[in-house]
Amino acid sequence: MRILLAEDEPVLADQIRSVMKSEGRVVDVAPNGVEAQFLAETEPYDVIILDIGLPERDGITVLKNIRAEGVSTPVLILTARNDWSDRVDGLDAGADDYLSKPFHMPELSARVRAMIRRKVGQTNTVFQKDDVSFDTRNNQVTVNGIPTNLTAQEVAVLSYLFHNSGRLVSRTELSEHIYQFDGDRDSNTIAVFVNRLRKKLGNDLIETVRGRGYVIKAAA
Amino acid sequence: MISLRRRAVAGGMLWAAITIFLGLAGLSSYTLTATKQRFTDQVANQHTQVVVALGNYYENIDALRRTIADPVYQRPFSGQYWQIENDQGLLLTSPSLVETLLPQPSAPSEGIESREFMGQNGERLFGVAQWLTLDGESSWHVQVAANVQTLDAEIADLRRTLLLAFAIICSVGIIGALVQVTVVLQPLNDLRADVKRRWDEEAGMQPSAYPIEVAPLVTDINTLLKRNQEIIGRSRRQAADLAHAIKTPSAIMRNELGALQTRGVAVTDAMNALDTLDAQLKRSFARMRADGSQNAMPVITDGTETLSRMARAFTALARNAGRTLSSDIAPGLRVRIDKSDLEEITGNLLDNAMKWSTSHVHLNAARSGNKIIIKIEDDGPGIADVDKTLATQSGQRLDTVKPGTGLGLAIVDDLVHAYDGALTLGQSAEHGGLCAEITLEAARSKASR
Repeated sequence: MRILLAEDEPVLADQIRSVMKSEGRVVDVAPNGVEAQFLAETEPYDVIILDIGLPERDGITVLKNIRAEGVSTPVLILTARNDWSDRVDGLDAGADDYLSKPFHMPELSARVRAMIRRKVGQTNTVFQKDDVSFDTRNNQVTVNGIPTNLTAQEVAVLSYLFHNSGRLVSRTELSEHIYQFDGDRDSNTIAVFVNRLRKKLGNDLIETVRGRGYVIKAAA
Repeated sequence: MISLRRRAVAGGMLWAAITIFLGLAGLSSYTLTATKQRFTDQVANQHTQVVVALGNYYENIDALRRTIADPVYQRPFSGQYWQIENDQGLLLTSPSLVETLLPQPSAPSEGIESREFMGQNGERLFGVAQWLTLDGESSWHVQVAANVQTLDAEIADLRRTLLLAFAIICSVGIIGALVQVTVVLQPLNDLRADVKRRWDEEAGMQPSAYPIEVAPLVTDINTLLKRNQEIIGRSRRQAADLAHAIKTPSAIMRNELGALQTRGVAVTDAMNALDTLDAQLKRSFARMRADGSQNAMPVITDGTETLSRMARAFTALARNAGRTLSSDIAPGLRVRIDKSDLEEITGNLLDNAMKWSTSHVHLNAARSGNKIIIKIEDDGPGIADVDKTLATQSGQRLDTVKPGTGLGLAIVDDLVHAYDGALTLGQSAEHGGLCAEITLEAARSKASR
């Protein structure tokens, strides 16, 4: 899952990125409103975390602009302001949720997870396909109830396929959602990650549609 | 402080009294002198007539009597008398003297004598007398006298007329002063009504609509009102900037502490201190907002629009939380409160209701008389009667199961009281949970103007 984090405070941005990364997500950081709008309009993010008080272009304007451009990515606004006006402005402009600073990092993670689930219409926090289950709260994968160790990239691929289960996902789309903006996007490595996942989780979980991509069929 | 009307009326009356008194004294003095002069001139003229008659007929007494036979000298004690006598012992008097006489002549002298004296019948008389020498031989003394009481009566009559005239002038002057004061002070009354209207309707005051003397005051009031709003706005922006400046570092510290905690470092005390710091900041900012609102000039907010916006925003949040929000907001609600404060109040209450509800939150707003009643109800556990007072106190968390600082209801209570409103916590009859009822002062609706 790929996240755009629009936050001008570099230390806080690093902290959030670090936590998101530890949860198997990739994060692009935009330190100002102009860059945030550019990335939101040009890159396929799964969630946007948008600080309202951005330099150069404030968060509300960025949000209005990207919604006007047809970007429907779920947006979580961060606000350090005290009053409700900012939050309501944000929600009115098309934000899906808000979080006030200072916040607890686990709460941010939970909100982001919930937004990703809502985006794909998934209400449960745990995906289940045959004997494989994937817990989105801690990225824990079990086969017949036995935990399996996966690398961060493997979790990222599995998470995206589970969140889009029932839909064919191309390698390009997959690479767009597991690599960050300035990362080395080699779609061939996707095949390597899928092969590793098949070895660890069984061959039936992820199906290959030749020349088109991968699909996990109808996860619960 | 004495009112301007009283000052103007008292000043006008004092000035009118001084003017009338001086006018009355001056005019009275002039007319008195003129009347007295006319009286003495009249007596002197009568004396001259008698002297001329004597000069012509001193040898023919009968002719003399006929010549000065004016009827006023014929009527007994008419107040007009003459008396002629000579050094040969001749004594002639006007019939009006009857049997009385005017005073005996003084020693012969030149010139005309005039004086006041008491007549033998008790009249106060003014007389003119003169010694004459006719044909260079005989000396004649000619006296003419007139009753001064007629002069006094005339003067008294004149004074009465003058007093009456000045009393009328004084009354007209006072009525005029009152009318003038009313007319002059009317723009100030208009100004007062305009200020009230501005508070009621947020309408501006145009200096050009006032007299040139009052227009600067109107400009000053407009400036003052604008400055008041600017000060409130600036202090809120400063508070918001300060909050922004503090909260981001606070978030960083909290995350660092959280990271340390996951590595087994004991940071509980530091985390608690940070929680206290954040809660205190939130409380202080809320208090600053409430104090600012209390001192602000009254403003009017479109309650229907603002509450609808809140309902729209919270509908999305309710959906995220797996709950539903319904709203019933009457059209045309105008509330005497700052828009952001109304958002703060309803935001905190809706947030609270969302947190504690099981599945549903309802927002209702309607006008009742000159009040706007806003109700936020949920289907959660509600608050026990014994805890309702505690709930509005700063930092009192009745249940620590849900995250929060326990400030929401206290902030709402502070803000509502800053606008002389009321917060009532009860049980929702329809939904079973908490019913938070806010009562705020309504402004006149646009349609009723």
